Amino acid sequence: MSVIFHRGPARIEANLTPLIDVTFLLIVFFVLVSQIVDLESVQMDLPKPAEPASELAGDEQRAVINIIPAGGGQIAGYRFAGRTFSPDASGIEALTSTLAALYQRSPTLRINLRADRKTHFQWIEPVFDAVVAATTRSGRDDVTAGMNLVVIREE
Amino acid sequence: MPAPPDNEVGRAAARPPTRLSFNLTAMIDVVFLLLIYFLVATDFKLGEEIYRLDLPRRSLRADPFELPRDPLRIAVASTGSGAGYLIRVEGAAAQPASFQELFEFLAQNQQSAAAVGGLFEPDHPIIIEPGPATRWEHAIEAFNAAVRARYSNVKFGGG
Repeated sequence: MSVIFHRGPARIEANLTPLIDVTFLLIVFFVLVSQIVDLESVQMDLPKPAEPASELAGDEQRAVINIIPAGGGQIAGYRFAGRTFSPDASGIEALTSTLAALYQRSPTLRINLRADRKTHFQWIEPVFDAVVAATTRSGRDDVTAGMNLVVIREE
Repeated sequence: MPAPPDNEVGRAAARPPTRLSFNLTAMIDVVFLLLIYFLVATDFKLGEEIYRLDLPRRSLRADPFELPRDPLRIAVASTGSGAGYLIRVEGAAAQPASFQELFEFLAQNQQSAAAVGGLFEPDHPIIIEPGPATRWEHAIEAFNAAVRARYSNVKFGGG
């Protein structure tokens, strides 16, 4: 009597469970990522310099400050880390404290600055000051006050 | 070759035919529907790029042996309803009328192997000074002109 005869008929099964698991994990991933992207980017008209010498962002750790436009070059506030800071002294002070806390944990953090092309510089300069003040307030010597100015490259 | 026993022949004949039925149609339908949904719902950000700006830190001590270099200051102001602009380069005989001319001025006055008589080294400090009401796009255009002319030490100053 042969060995094959004892095994019985061949049964072919396709286990779809891992495939469905992976598919649903991908769906959850994309849903979460799309929400995070929405948090980081506020709808605005970024500057489009002619013949730009800009570069693609690297893989370094970064956080995004959005300057929320309010028309006529004015702003409605600063959006950072899921919070909105008012465009006055108290708002800038709170923004500085938040940045300093982040620098304590991540000294090489770079700050992406997104501002509307029509926004007046008087609302952008306080962000530079807040970043510099936050590096000092963090109490760390290895903090790099690096910023990335975000623009649109129009080919 | 010996013939198989009678009981084996009977068992093989009674075995039902193997039926493989994997109905993946429904799942593929759902996956493609989700794919189309995400393609439609995704807001693609076209061509976002960056300029690197390393701000000076207050707490760091300056090198005591480093000679201070007088930075080249470039003032930018938005004019009229905001679309126009005015550029003023400190110390320049002829003021650039456009950002392209600013780029040409900076590129022509840079020291390099080709142009030894240039006024500024590539790491010469350049400070862009937009006014309070200057549009961000004009400030960025001036910054771009300096970076495009291969200057590595470009900063923003208060207006």
